[in-house]
Amino acid sequence: MTDAFELLMSIGEAASIYALVALSYMLVLRPTGIINFAVGEWALLGAFLSVSTVVTLKLPYPLAVLLVLAGVGAIAWLTERLTIRPMVERAAPLMTLILLMLAVDIVYREAAVWGYGTANHFAPMPFGSGRVEFGPFGGSTQSLVVIAATVLVFAATWYFFERTVQGKAFEAVAIDRTVASLMGINLARVTALSFFAAGAVAGLAGMLQAPLTTASYLMGLPLTIKGFSAMVIGGAGRVEGAVLGGLVLAASERLVLRYAPVPSAFAIAIPLLLLIIFLLVRPTGILKAKGAA
Amino acid sequence: MNGAMRTATAWIGGAALLVGLTYVLGGYGLDIYRKLLLTATLALSYNFMFGFAGQIALSHYTFYGIGAYSVTILMTQAGWSLPLAALATIGISAVVALAVAIPANRLEGFYLALATLALAQIFIVALVQGGEFTGGADGIFGFKSPEIFGIPLSGTNFVIALIGLFLGTLAVLQFLGRSYFGRACRAIRDNPRAAAAMGINVARTNIIVFTLTSSLAAIAGIFYAFADRFVNPYVFGIEPMFLLVFMVIVGGTGRHAGAIVGATVLFLLPEFLGDIVGRRYILIYGLLVVLALMFQPNGLIGLYDQLRHRLARRP
Repeated sequence: MTDAFELLMSIGEAASIYALVALSYMLVLRPTGIINFAVGEWALLGAFLSVSTVVTLKLPYPLAVLLVLAGVGAIAWLTERLTIRPMVERAAPLMTLILLMLAVDIVYREAAVWGYGTANHFAPMPFGSGRVEFGPFGGSTQSLVVIAATVLVFAATWYFFERTVQGKAFEAVAIDRTVASLMGINLARVTALSFFAAGAVAGLAGMLQAPLTTASYLMGLPLTIKGFSAMVIGGAGRVEGAVLGGLVLAASERLVLRYAPVPSAFAIAIPLLLLIIFLLVRPTGILKAKGAA
Repeated sequence: MNGAMRTATAWIGGAALLVGLTYVLGGYGLDIYRKLLLTATLALSYNFMFGFAGQIALSHYTFYGIGAYSVTILMTQAGWSLPLAALATIGISAVVALAVAIPANRLEGFYLALATLALAQIFIVALVQGGEFTGGADGIFGFKSPEIFGIPLSGTNFVIALIGLFLGTLAVLQFLGRSYFGRACRAIRDNPRAAAAMGINVARTNIIVFTLTSSLAAIAGIFYAFADRFVNPYVFGIEPMFLLVFMVIVGGTGRHAGAIVGATVLFLLPEFLGDIVGRRYILIYGLLVVLALMFQPNGLIGLYDQLRHRLARRP
C-alpha cells in the first residue's frame, strides 16, 4: 500500500510540472491565439537561472524564486515587446507570430548553450534530499515543494481570473479581442501581461524540475510537448483543465512505466497517443470552455 | 519563342547545368552537392505544405527518415526488390501521415505543429530503441547499392538520379501549385473561413497536402538511404527540421525558387563558416529568421525581386 502512495506522490509531482507548463501555454494562447513553442525554453531558462542564483551566487532560495519569476517573466515580456507587438500592429497573420516564437525558441536555447554549455547542471533541492511522511503519504521533499508551489500558483491564478478586474479583462480578450478592445480594454497591456505571467510560470516549472533531472539544454523540448498534451487533454479553455490534463498525462505515464511490459523509453509516446485520442474523441478536452456550446 | 518552348528550354538548360556540375565537382565537393540536392528537394516539398498551404508541421525529416529506414529494412532484412520496397515505403509514410493529420485537423488552429513535433521526438527514440530491427543508435550500414536495368546506382549515376529526384519533385509541385488544388491551398492559407465559404473542404485539403508532401519527403528518404548506404537516427532529428523551416523562411516562403535559394544558402554557409562560428551558427540563423519574418517576409528571393525592379526602372 505504501508503494501505491509513493506512486501517487510521484504522479502528483509530474502532474504539477505539466500543469504549470500547460498553464503557461494557456496564458498566451487564450488572449492571442498563439501556440507558443517557447514555453519549454522558458522553463529551461528558469532552470539555468535557478542554477546561477542558488548554486553560483548562493542566494537564499526564496530570493532565487523571485529572481527566476521576474527574470524569465521579463525575458518573455521583452520578447513580446520586441517581436510580437510590432507584428500585431502591422496585422501580421497568426502563422507569422507562431513562426516568430519558433525562431525565438531556438535563439533562447542556443543563447543558453552559449552561456551554460551543453553539460548537465546540478541544482540542489531547497529542503535537502530527505524524505517526508505524513500518514500513508511519503515522498521526497522536492515532490512536496513542487506540489505545494503548483497549488499556490493555481490558487493565485484562480484569484486573478475570478476576483480581479484585470482578470476579467483578460477573460474578455480571450473570448473576443475585437469586442474587448471596443469595451475599452487595452489589448497591448493584456498581451504584455499574459506573456510576462506565462514566462514566470514556465520559468518556475523549470526551476522546480531542475533538482529532479538536473538542468540541461535539452530539457525544454519534452516539456513543450507534454505541457501541450496536458492542455489539450484538460481543455484549452479553462484554467482547471491544465491541472486535470497534467494529472491524466502524469498518471498514464507513471502507470505505464510501472506496470506495462514495454521498454521505459517508449513512455515518450504517451503524450502523442493521448493527444491523438483526445483530438479524435473529444477535441475540446475534458473540460469545455465556459460559455461554449 | 513561345511560352511552352521557353519553359522547355529552361528545364533542359537547368538540367544540363545541374548535370554539368556533377562532372566539374569532385571528391568532397561532390558529396556536399549530393547532400544539397537532397536538402533542396526536402525544402521544395516542405515549402509547398508550409508556404503554399500555410500548415506548420515539424515532421518533414521524420518522413524523410521513415523513407530511408523503411526501404533499407525492407530490402536488407525482408529481401524485397527496390521497386516493391519503394512502393511499400510510400504506403507506410502515407499511413503515418494520415494518422497524425486526421486528428490534428479536428480543431482550427496550429495543432498539427505540436502533434508532429511529438511524432518527431518519438521517431528518434523508436529508432534508437529498435534493437536489431533498426540497428539502434548505430543505424544500419554497409548494404549494397541497387541496380536499375543493370546500371548500378552509385557514383555519378547516383548524383544524376538525385538531379532527377530534385527536378521531378519541382515539376510535380509546380503542376500542383498551378492546379485547382494549389489554388485551394493558397485560399486556405490566406483565409481558412473565406476558403470554406467558397466551398473548399478545409480539413480534407489540409490532410491531403500534409500526406502528399510528407510522402514526397519519404521518397527523398529512399534516395538518401543509398547516398552513403548508411542510415542513422540522428540524421532525422529535430535539429535539421528546424533548419529546414529556417531555410524556407530565409529563402522566401511560398515560392519554389525561394525554397531552393534558402536551402542552398543556409546549407552551404556552415560548410564555409563552420570553423569560425561552430555551433553558434544555429543562434545566428535563429536571429536571421526573426529579422526575416519581421522585416523581409518575402525572404532572399523577395530581395532579389526588389533589386531587379529597381534596376529595371533605371533609364
